[in-house]
Order: sequence, then C-alpha cells, then structure tokens
Amino acid sequence: MDYLDTINIHLSQEDLNILQGAQGPSLQKVMEAVVRYGEALEARRLVDIEGPGHFVIPWSSPGIAPPIELLEELAGAGLKTKFPFTLDPKPALDFENLFLRPEERAAIEAMYRNQARYDELMIQLGLRDQDAYTCNPYQPEVGNIPKRGTILAWSESACAVYANSVLAARTNRNGAIMDILTNIVGKTPLAGLLTDEGRKATWLVEIMTANLPNPQLLGAAIGLKVLEDVPYIVNLNRHLSPKLEAKTTDFLQEMGTACATYGAVGLYHVEGITPEAVDSGRDLLAPGFQTYVIDEHELQELLGSFPLLWTDENATPERCYIGCPHLSLRQLYWWADAIRAALQIRTRHRLEIDTVLCAAPKVLEKFKEDESVYLELKEAGVKFSPACCETIFETRLCSGRPILTNSTKLRAYTTARFLPDEVLVEALVTGKVD
Amino acid sequence: MGKTFKGRAILPANLAGEALVSRRGFNAYASFYNSLHDDVESAVCADRGNAQLFGRNMMDKIICLPKTTGSTSAGAVWQRAASLGVAPKAMLFAHSIDSLAAGGLIVADIWTHHRICTIDQLGEGFLLAVQDGDWLEVREDGTVEVVGL
Repeated sequence: MDYLDTINIHLSQEDLNILQGAQGPSLQKVMEAVVRYGEALEARRLVDIEGPGHFVIPWSSPGIAPPIELLEELAGAGLKTKFPFTLDPKPALDFENLFLRPEERAAIEAMYRNQARYDELMIQLGLRDQDAYTCNPYQPEVGNIPKRGTILAWSESACAVYANSVLAARTNRNGAIMDILTNIVGKTPLAGLLTDEGRKATWLVEIMTANLPNPQLLGAAIGLKVLEDVPYIVNLNRHLSPKLEAKTTDFLQEMGTACATYGAVGLYHVEGITPEAVDSGRDLLAPGFQTYVIDEHELQELLGSFPLLWTDENATPERCYIGCPHLSLRQLYWWADAIRAALQIRTRHRLEIDTVLCAAPKVLEKFKEDESVYLELKEAGVKFSPACCETIFETRLCSGRPILTNSTKLRAYTTARFLPDEVLVEALVTGKVD
Repeated sequence: MGKTFKGRAILPANLAGEALVSRRGFNAYASFYNSLHDDVESAVCADRGNAQLFGRNMMDKIICLPKTTGSTSAGAVWQRAASLGVAPKAMLFAHSIDSLAAGGLIVADIWTHHRICTIDQLGEGFLLAVQDGDWLEVREDGTVEVVGL
C-alpha cells in the first residue's frame, strides 16, 4: 500500500477501511483503482454517487469490453453496483434485422461467442433488466433520466455529455471498466465536470448559419476545435425551441455525440436552452475564453474533408445503418415520414438500399404499437434493430463495402459513408448518391 | 545532454525508448481498433484521422501526446493491449491526463501487472521539443530527457 504515502487525495475513514481490506480483497482492489484514478485526476476527495449509471460497452468483444475474467472476479466476490444501471446497445446478433452476409454472421457469432455469459454477469453486477440496452437511455420509454445536480459516474461518451449538458447532472467522462468499478464502490472522484469550476466554458462558439445546421456535422466541427474543453454555444436558440421538447433534445443528443467523438467534449452549454445556460448565461464563460465562429462554409469544408473509404468509390450502395446513437421515437417517425414522402414523389413502394433503423428495445416496442406506420416502413424494406450497428464492422468483413449512414460517429470508426439526413433519404429511394 | 522536462509520474518507471509523437489528441479507441484481436503481433495505428500516427507501429514506443480524445470505449483498450503485449512502453502527456486515459491505464496496471509508464503535465514545450524517432530516457520521478536521434 506504499502508494498511499504519496497521494494527495483526501480519503474518509470508510474509504481507508475499504482500502485496507475491511470489506474483502476484491473490493479492496476495486477501491485501489478508484483512489488512483482520483489521484490522477487531482480530485480533492471521493464523493457518493447519487443515481443509476449508464455504461459503455455491453458486448464481449475483446479489447473493447471489460474482459470476462475481470467481470467473473467481481461477480464471484458478490460485488454489485450501488444503483441498477443501463448499458449501451447489444452487439449485432439479431441477424434477422441486419442484412448481413453469411460470412459476416459467422464472424459475428464467433466474435461474440461469450455474449450470453457476459449478459449474465452484467445482470449479476447490477444491470437494470434485459431491455436496458441502448445508447439513448434518457428516452422516456427507457427512463434512466437523472435529475439536475445528481452526481453520477457514467461512461458512454454520447450519454455522459447529454447527462451533463441537457439534464445538468454531473458526471465525468469515465472509461469502460472504470465505470463499473466506481459504481460498485459507490464513489467517484470530485474533479473535472463534477465541480463548478470544471463546468465553466473556455470557448464561445458562435453559430452563424442561416438555418439550423446538421447536428452531427456541427458537433463534429465543435469537437475537432475545442477537444476536451467546454463550449458555450450561442445562436442555436434562433433555430431551436428553448423548451427541452423532443425536437430540441434530439438535436442536442446528436450534436453532443459528435462533439464527444471528434473531440472529448463532456459538457456544452447552449445559450437560452440548456439548464445551466438558462440560469447563468454568459457568466459561465471563463476569463480568457477563445471564440470559434461556425458558418455554412465551415461545415461544408468539414463534410468535404471526410474521405470516401469504400473499396470501389463508384459502387452502388448496398446497405444503410441509421441510429448511431439510437433513434428516439420522434426520430423514428421523422424517418417514416421522410421515407414515405420520398417514395411518393417517385411513385415507388420500396427503398433501393437495405436500410436498418436502430433504437432502444423499449422505443421500438412503442413504435411497433403504431401498426400502420410500422408495417408501411416494413413493406418499404426497412428493418428495425436494437443493436449497435458499429459492431457489424468489428469483423472487418464489411470494411470498404458501400455502406451509408447518417452518423458522423459511425463514420469516424468505420468505412461507412456519412450523408446528411435529407440527402440520405434521396439515396435510399434512388439507390444512388449524387 | 538533451533537453529535460519534468512532469508528474502517475505510473512511474525507469525506461528508455523511441518517441512516436501525436501533436493532436490521440484517439486510443480508433488507434488500437485493429490491434486487439488474439493473434496480433504489433499495434499499427488505425486512426485515419491522425495523419502523424496512422499506419505506424505503436508497440513498445513512447507515445508523446497532448491528451487522448474520442470514445469512452477506450477505457478497456489499454487493459487489452497490455495483456496482448502490444502496448506502448510509455504515454507522455503534455497536458494533465484526461479521465479516459487515466482510468484505462490504471486498470491495466492493476489487473494485468503490465505497466505502461504514464507521465503527464510535461508542458507544451515538451511537445515542441520532441520529434518522431527521438530517443527518450524516462525516470520514475517524472523526468523525461529528450536525447535526440
């Protein structure tokens, strides 16, 4: 325990007891990791976690997920998170929904061969229920909606930034494995985005577009510029309702996901819209803040900088994955309306490209209750999946294939081609990308 | 005698090795994307967004960077790279370490017993001074000497 002599973080007697093994060697090891983590982040102390977690990586892919052996060790010791947690979407094992080729199915089956055991371990460690798999857990149908000011230890970058920014809860961007460790101990380092000073904005981002920009392109531009800093975004309230209604929250969810992917943004403020910006306004800007102006030219330039990574650049698109992050109910209806309208204009009945819409199990369940819309989309060739479409690419077997997406996050990690929603709808109906 | 920089040793070690420099945020998940399967023998950087490192072997190198960026999935990447033996020797951060790298590197250290030496707060001057291929000597008190080519 010699590292204890060298640390500055203040530990309570309870923390020290756990560190000295009072609650067993497994929790002692977990606590050591959490204390070292706090020390690295220059935390003053550990604070109690006050609400359910949401964790990244719900699948058993080596290197990306916590290793099975580590989870077995924790579960074997009877450890469990303080609150029931939700998890990112499951891997692409629902083959009937995903338009996969036989060799892709075989590779995915082999890659996720431990998935059933992984799922069992997650339940033992505190997973809320079998439907708690999504990267959009704050949808009302899912219900992991922390209250303002709640101390959390979330991981999934898209979710942590939303919890901080839109819900005004407080979480750092914790990584996979550390997420579950902190939630088992029930404590997280008081540092960074948990503190008032850590929530100050060091960038003023001025949106100068004539219309509401594409949220995923906008988020990518902000992330690339500010990296891990906190931006204070102005002028979006010219285009978005200040009420946190579904259209606004969906926009912020997509923008934040891209901010977190292209940079490491864990919190943003939007003037007149997000709770802390509504209350404090530009007082949230730290002295010496930098300014970044975004106009149409800036976003077009960014879009043009995305390289086309298909093996055959002129190939006819074969598949499209929409819903990274998972779609909300409102977004599912948006796609239903957009696809219906585009098909009607061309007097067609089916899409030319195999298309999958991804959303949380509970959101899909709700959507499917609206049978006429659901069946209409099904007849147009659309399939629905609760999976993480990114996992399809983990096999490398579809690398370079002509696959489209509306997600700048999926584009960042795979060879899928990004198209903005309105352009993508046209491609789905015509089978071509202009 | 090369230039010397003093940082904070988070996972201290005495070692020497070759520098691989990322002057922009290092996306660990994207960088190790192709290097986490059972049969890998090296860690070739797969991050197309990082022109300096894309296609370069990161195994046993000393990666010099401002911070890490990108998905929180990266937390598990370090543990896996360390257990496969394809991890870098050291991670030298110009800025304060970010939460993703800190959590991942500490978990790797405790659960694999394979230390990836980690030093942060080396300052902007460090990134200006160090060049790809420079020989670096790292000491457990957080001192880094850029010996040069």
